[in-house]
Amino acid sequence: MNEDGLDTVIHAPARLRIVVTLASLPEGDDLSFTRLQDLIGLTPGNLITHLRKLEDAGYIQTERNGNGTTARTSVALTHAGRAALDRYTTAVRQLLDSASPR
Amino acid sequence: MNAGADMKDGAGAGEAAGTDAQGAADMDAQGAAAIMQEARERARRELAVRRPVLFLTWGLVVLVGYGAMWLSVRGQHPFHGPTAPAIVTLVALFAMAAIVTAWFVDRASSGVGGPSVLQRGVFVLALAAGGAALEIFIRAASDASADRPLVAVMRAAAPLLVVGLVFVASSAINGILDRPRLALGLWLLAVAAEGAWAGPVTYLAVIALAGGGGILLMAAIEPLLRRS
Repeated sequence: MNEDGLDTVIHAPARLRIVVTLASLPEGDDLSFTRLQDLIGLTPGNLITHLRKLEDAGYIQTERNGNGTTARTSVALTHAGRAALDRYTTAVRQLLDSASPR
Repeated sequence: MNAGADMKDGAGAGEAAGTDAQGAADMDAQGAAAIMQEARERARRELAVRRPVLFLTWGLVVLVGYGAMWLSVRGQHPFHGPTAPAIVTLVALFAMAAIVTAWFVDRASSGVGGPSVLQRGVFVLALAAGGAALEIFIRAASDASADRPLVAVMRAAAPLLVVGLVFVASSAINGILDRPRLALGLWLLAVAAEGAWAGPVTYLAVIALAGGGGILLMAAIEPLLRRS
């Protein structure tokens, strides 16, 4: 957590986009690496770096199916990831509320 | 993390680590809220099926297709059924709408895997199996010398009954009530059931106006219903 109480794993523009995008899918669904890359607009290397951080935190799960040219890597948000995004969203709202004039 | 064939490691990884810390430091709560909003809207635009467009398409198809059928039987004494051009028009419009639907669904679901793929498959199977079963039933009734007006009523009602029932049955999957789907399913069932009292000629007009109109109305209010 940073000094504002925001989860530092999520609190980076690219990872925030990744987590929000994956959270828009119904629970249990996954997204292919290439489609996620299209949606987020990162280079493959950049995306892998961010996904690795999220996976290390247990927020996403990746799975590789098939071999060679037919291989497909899918990315899904875990329950912990969804819960972390909920907490992050709540923390952001609280910060915005406390900053707004009453 | 596993790196698949579509997941090339390397270029940009170091750059990511550098810009990452900087980006996080620069992002305040307002910036985070804006990014979340933008990412949510983009995901909705790209990953969700555009139902208002599909409702608009199907609403027009029902309005025009059944309207053409009604025009072809209006004033028939005795009733001998819609003309071949009217039937061909309806079938062609249904086929066109099915292609449009498949295109939109395919576009939204490209790259998506998991339970929703199975749900969508079962949804399509339910529509196809229901439609086929009713068609066989109607042919059997016709073969057993059922009256022409009765067969016409059954045939006109079949798509509404199947779609209405499948919509209602699939409106609470994932534990979330899909209000637009439930409302439209119930409406189509009501039109199919109540309209039949009007007889084989007026029934086609009822389906065109109340059925097609209901679907068009849903195209307009679906976003509001989904948010409520």
